[in-house]
Amino acid sequence: MEKVLDRVQSFFLDMPVVEVMNPNVISVHPDRTLRQVKEILRIKRISGVPVVDHERKIVGIVSIEDIIKALEGGYIDGKVQDHMTKDVVCLKTSDTLKEVIETFEKYSYGRFPVVDENKKVVGIVTKNDVMMALLAKLGLVYLHDERRKEVLESPEYFGRSLITGERLDKTGADFFFPIDYYDINLAGVGASKLRQFLLSKGVDPETARRVAIATYEAETNVVIHSGSTGAIYCFIKPDSIFVRVEDTGKGIDNVELAMKEGYSTAPDYVRELGFGAGMGFTNMKRCSDNLMVVSKVGAGVVVEMEFRRSKEGSK
Amino acid sequence: MKLSEIVKALNLEVCCGNYEIDVQYGCVGDLLSEVMAHAKANSIWVTVQSHVNIVAVSVITGIRAIVLCNAHSFSSETIEKAKAEGICLLRSDKSPFEIVGRLYGMGIEP
Repeated sequence: MEKVLDRVQSFFLDMPVVEVMNPNVISVHPDRTLRQVKEILRIKRISGVPVVDHERKIVGIVSIEDIIKALEGGYIDGKVQDHMTKDVVCLKTSDTLKEVIETFEKYSYGRFPVVDENKKVVGIVTKNDVMMALLAKLGLVYLHDERRKEVLESPEYFGRSLITGERLDKTGADFFFPIDYYDINLAGVGASKLRQFLLSKGVDPETARRVAIATYEAETNVVIHSGSTGAIYCFIKPDSIFVRVEDTGKGIDNVELAMKEGYSTAPDYVRELGFGAGMGFTNMKRCSDNLMVVSKVGAGVVVEMEFRRSKEGSK
Repeated sequence: MKLSEIVKALNLEVCCGNYEIDVQYGCVGDLLSEVMAHAKANSIWVTVQSHVNIVAVSVITGIRAIVLCNAHSFSSETIEKAKAEGICLLRSDKSPFEIVGRLYGMGIEP
């Protein structure tokens, strides 16, 4: 958690001030009257203006507080240069959001002009600007996270093995097949390829058959039910074959119910094709020595199966 | 038992594939998962299911020949797939019940 906070903090706090500030600065010249400033503040609905010379270099600042004092003191028609705050706290263009926030904490002013190395005003930062900049940045973070939601929100689903709890290096899989089609006529292509692959790697035919049947069922489930694409990963170990079939689709509401023999949610057209007998998970269970299914509605399904390699072809 | 003997005795139409092969076991059913769960290798499968996926099921389980009953026909897609995978496709206008009974009588094992 602390790590996350640190990351988020640096993500925001390193934002350069130029990304936060408003570059369209409304400023006044020192020879204007406070009454004119009052009108500018009213019309523009702002609470203060920097005072700049003809080179746009900062010479002072006037806030709504100064205007109230002028109204009370009866010098509202006085010149800006005689009543402005001359000691202006400014931000530098090289500052980051960290300095901005520190400056807001240190001084009770509502706005800070941003000046370049020549003291020229290039922007202004109010608390509102900070807020808007943060929201904009949050929006970016949010988008970024949306894309990687499955990964970030469900590390258990996609990062770790359900059976062994090991971190999975999927790129190191011995066999990979993307289930990237929606056509039920193609269902089983991946399982057939996997069977051939296992046989070519010297896996005994009986084990290859069990793996293929169970994988076929899992693959068909992805095509019929997930509404998304998926993938088959297979790892060949000395004593066992490990298969993981995952998708990022609709997910299963009640895994326990789905695992029941004869339970099917397959649409009629699918049943007419000979699928959807409610046998899928049953077959997976029967063929594998270890079966784990994890799902959440809207978050896809992960099926993991382990098959012990047998010489005499038990099961 | 030689598949060619079965083809001859039951008067089956050969749609594709080599029938000079041996089959030992038989299975019957139209639900793919069901067949996959129970079919043995070196089987002949009696069914009314003609969907292209019967080929994948056969390849996976080791079924070597499929008898499509009640005069149903295979789609060209199914035949192409079966050719590619080396599965023998057979047809009959008889019912699955009759075909299975005859096969059993000929000594095909359950």
